Amino acid sequence: MYKKISRLQKLMILTILLFCIPSILFALSADEIIGEMDRLSTFETTYSTGSIQTTDRFGTKTSQFKSWSQGEKDSLIEFTSKAERGQKILRTEGSLYLFYPDAEQLIRMQGAALRQSMLGSDISYEDMTEEKNTLDNYTAKLEREETFKGNACFVLTLTAKSRSVAYPVQKIWVDKQSFLVWKAEYSTAQGRLLKVMEVLETFKSGERVLPKQSKIEDKMKKNSATLMTIDSFEANPHLDRSIFTLENLTW
Amino acid sequence: MVGKKKLCIFILILLMTLSSLIATENPIVTMDLLPTLTYKAHSDSWGAFFNGDLSVALSSKREGNVRGEVVLKATTLTPITSLNDVLYKAYFRARFPSFRLTAGKTRLSWGDGMLFNAGDVLYGSNSTSVFLTKAELRSTTNWLASVNYPLGFFSFAEAVVMPSETNNPADILFGARYYTTVKDIKVEIGYATKTPKITTTRQHKPYLSLQGNLGFDWYLSSSLAIPEDGDIAKESSESWIISGGFFHLVTLPQERSLSLRLEFLTRPFGSWEIGPVSDDSAALLLYPELVLAYSPSLSFTLRSIISPLDLSAMSTIGVSWNVFEAFNLIGSLSLATGDDGDLFAWSSTDTPASFSATVGSSWVF
Repeated sequence: MYKKISRLQKLMILTILLFCIPSILFALSADEIIGEMDRLSTFETTYSTGSIQTTDRFGTKTSQFKSWSQGEKDSLIEFTSKAERGQKILRTEGSLYLFYPDAEQLIRMQGAALRQSMLGSDISYEDMTEEKNTLDNYTAKLEREETFKGNACFVLTLTAKSRSVAYPVQKIWVDKQSFLVWKAEYSTAQGRLLKVMEVLETFKSGERVLPKQSKIEDKMKKNSATLMTIDSFEANPHLDRSIFTLENLTW
Repeated sequence: MVGKKKLCIFILILLMTLSSLIATENPIVTMDLLPTLTYKAHSDSWGAFFNGDLSVALSSKREGNVRGEVVLKATTLTPITSLNDVLYKAYFRARFPSFRLTAGKTRLSWGDGMLFNAGDVLYGSNSTSVFLTKAELRSTTNWLASVNYPLGFFSFAEAVVMPSETNNPADILFGARYYTTVKDIKVEIGYATKTPKITTTRQHKPYLSLQGNLGFDWYLSSSLAIPEDGDIAKESSESWIISGGFFHLVTLPQERSLSLRLEFLTRPFGSWEIGPVSDDSAALLLYPELVLAYSPSLSFTLRSIISPLDLSAMSTIGVSWNVFEAFNLIGSLSLATGDDGDLFAWSSTDTPASFSATVGSSWVF
């Protein structure tokens, strides 16, 4: 019954183990991947300009914006295109404020109101000012490894810990080298696909790879797509803390 | 010689204007062209008029510690008798190390509420005389000087002075408010005092405004107008108004969304008798609003002001189609449904139209 292992077989097993042990020892857990993903997409401060383009059969509508961020939770967006000029969104921990300059009105948004489409795009207020503390809100599970558009990726499923987030389930393709999220599928808890985000173009900021152009498709709408493009990006500029205040929002 | 002098002065003024324009951002023109058909039941007559609203906004660049804006606005429905009629906004803001000064003609939004806002003690947001077809239901501006003093990142105090409505310096409006968040609730508390044009007695108006979320957004405001003379207790209690609202967004299949808003205005010491009510004493008014975002560019709106005590209502169904960038096609139908003497009577001399239909466009360039 017992079959003796040959010397050659032993050598092969040993070789395989020698190759596998380091990869087992040094394999990243799902939480480590998400932690690295958040770390590399978060800067002390940033300043960027960009545009949101929505396209339908009547043509393309473009909204331009300036954006400032600080750490994981503070961000300010100011629209500069004519139809929305001066409208601002301030996101800080737990709250989102809108400022409409025509009416000089300051509105605080919470709950479902954050899920409103921003300027008729496939991006909600919550998407635009997303906090980068994924593990506070989601439990991560590493599903597999997969090549996406020629890039070796980890495929992870994120399940919401509470109902306070916009998307109960997210499936993300994270680059194994740069930890850039190349693709994300956003679903309901029942598995109904809501939105798909794909990075079309990237740029480098130092050693970090960041999305330059992303396409967001609302899977519940026909022929609906939004392109978000970053035109300029500055990492770690000196930003006054007062930028992320109500005083500056209503300036 | 005189001709040459005039020409030089003209060129100088032109150069000064052009050089000041260089310091501004590009002007923004908003043009609403809304042909309207109306029916007045009391005179059994149809009318057709062209409602055109035009505004030109010139803003300074948002740089440095001083910025300003001039907005000229005119409508074909209102005759222009003075510069003040077209000067919708003309103000500057200056940022000092510890406070911000705003001076000129502009608006301050105090309290919460889209139609009813008891916290709006500066302009008053209780009247039902509004155009439900407009995106902004309240947009009054006034000459003012205000100081905004930050008290932390999300708190501030604000003081304001407005000229008197009676041109008497003793009747100037003074006001102040404090804005903060306590736990998860926005708290705004303030006070304004002025002598309204219709009375000779100065009024003192304290208010409180709260906003929070309980699965849906809610807001609540309350204010009083306490006169200096007369039957203070009676007039104060009659002036007590409470307004509030709920807002919730429901996501529908096909990723359409339906936003629901319900506002109310109540005067606890108003007349609760069933029967005809007047705008300034109605004990209860409701404002439901439904907005169906059918697609990113197409939305349908149902707005209504309801007077439950006389069972009358003014309702508007609207559609807005964002066809091209900053260009919208707009349509609306408005209808008053009430008996004679009701707040929104079908047949009344006070109602601008028993029924109206509007089809037009709005363009920003």
